[in-house]
Amino acid sequence: MSDIHNVAVLGFGTMGAGIVQVVAASGREVTVLEADQARADAGLDRLRSFLDGGVQRGKLTESGRDAVLARVHPVTDVTALAGSDLVIEAVTERADVKRELLGRVAAVVAEDALIVTNTSALSVTDLAGAVSNPERFAGLHFFNPAPLMKVVEVVRALQSGPGVVDRLVAFVEAIGKDPVVVKDRPGFLVNHLLMPYLNDVIAEYDAELASAEDIDTAIRLGLGYKLGPLELLDLIGLDVHEHATRSAYDATLDPRFAPPPLLQQMVAAGYHGNKNGQGFRTGKGNAQ
Amino acid sequence: MTSQERTVAVLGAGTMGSGIATVTVRAGYRTLIHDLDDARVARGVDTVRGFLAKSAKLGKLTEEQAAEASARVEGTTELKDLAGAGVVIEAIFEDLAAKRDLFGRLDDIVGKDTLFHTNTSTLSVTGIAAGSALPERVVGTHYCNPAPLMKLVEVADGRHTASWAHEATIEFLASVGKTTVVTKDRPGFIVNRFLIPWENSCIQALENGLGTKESIDAAVTGALGHPMGPFKLLDVVGLDIHQQVATRLYEQLRDPKFFPPPMVDRMVAAGDLGRKTGRGFYTYDDNRLFGS
Repeated sequence: MSDIHNVAVLGFGTMGAGIVQVVAASGREVTVLEADQARADAGLDRLRSFLDGGVQRGKLTESGRDAVLARVHPVTDVTALAGSDLVIEAVTERADVKRELLGRVAAVVAEDALIVTNTSALSVTDLAGAVSNPERFAGLHFFNPAPLMKVVEVVRALQSGPGVVDRLVAFVEAIGKDPVVVKDRPGFLVNHLLMPYLNDVIAEYDAELASAEDIDTAIRLGLGYKLGPLELLDLIGLDVHEHATRSAYDATLDPRFAPPPLLQQMVAAGYHGNKNGQGFRTGKGNAQ
Repeated sequence: MTSQERTVAVLGAGTMGSGIATVTVRAGYRTLIHDLDDARVARGVDTVRGFLAKSAKLGKLTEEQAAEASARVEGTTELKDLAGAGVVIEAIFEDLAAKRDLFGRLDDIVGKDTLFHTNTSTLSVTGIAAGSALPERVVGTHYCNPAPLMKLVEVADGRHTASWAHEATIEFLASVGKTTVVTKDRPGFIVNRFLIPWENSCIQALENGLGTKESIDAAVTGALGHPMGPFKLLDVVGLDIHQQVATRLYEQLRDPKFFPPPMVDRMVAAGDLGRKTGRGFYTYDDNRLFGS
């Protein structure tokens, strides 16, 4: 059982929309803050089209979809978040943007409202410093696409107070996800393990170990992974991976996180993976 | 097709050798399994026939197909009996000198155009090929365990492998129903090259307190869609096997990411090898593998 009923989500982008859907589907009211009406409308459209896809595939009824949408309230004024029990921040991965917004939100919500960040690349402990009463702060890291991925990392910041992590674990279970409590380390747990592996594959591909297709085939058939590492990178976005692994490298100076030269060059050339059709397994970036 | 082209010799009657022999008899090749003594040879032949019988019971093969395939496997302890083989597949223990010696002795027994395949997982194909007077016929073909069930074979040429041998190898593997990927003669090929550092990093994360074995397994399967978390997988593979493969890769590459973390040594020393001993990262009530 979770004591969290009213949830606010900051940012109605890809991750924000996914989180909004998961929380609203659990029967909770969700207020979503965006910078302006156009972005709020775009987020609502994104959510609606995802839910429509669920209806078409028979995963969701039309009335179920309408009930979820009825619980979602897009706003552009931060004061509309005043009654929230929990605020989930999911705006762009820039520390300055997140800190400024978190400070404003903390001033509006109750002193004991929980505030969490969905960052994947920044330090939760650092962001906690942006809010008053930082003991109510933690990380809640959803994976993309949030409605489909079962795991949510609950990240304990250095400042997180006793009981905060327990309340978040109960909340994650209440919205139908599997919580994993992790430390505030670069990449937390999953990306901490994933990033060096992906960097290693990029470096070996650059060193002509095998074609991109054969590397993916070997990993899929040999280990039973759903995706090979290079098609996974195209899906994640080369720019997204480059930013995340660079952040981890800056925080640790551990060479396993250092973005490999080929990755840097592909990002510099504008090859971002599936989203613009240029990556390891697709388009011009396919160096095979 | 000549009888030579339809005859395969498998060196080594262990898990990999009998698994590979199962693959070749199922695909219609007469297959001779060679090992050092009669008991091992008999065990290898029994393993092949047992697998085929079970396949028939499960409806994967008809009774007739299984009987025919079973009739195609024979065993021998005499290398000279392998004279008629068109393909020799070496799957003995991971010892460079022993593998080289076998290929050298077979040079005088088989025809000059017989392919030599080595199923080494951690040694250099070029190093093994140097045991043959005709290294151009030697190709690395790394099967996954269990060979009868896993589609993948990694193909790696040595320095002196001829293109005819490479092409004939790809064709042969397609004829036994395998999917091939072409890689280089480098330690670990593709799969172990990336799996070993991955498993090591998961063990380090556990030792560093980033999670529990349960939470790390749950996070990896839930967030990355792997069929098994790293610790469940290590228990299936065996901690001793992981230690051996990781150490061999480290010895060749001298990169610390391949070196087995101290926890592996402690587990091996304690006899906690995984499912086969009933205890590894997890404890097991039985020692069954792959639900068999």
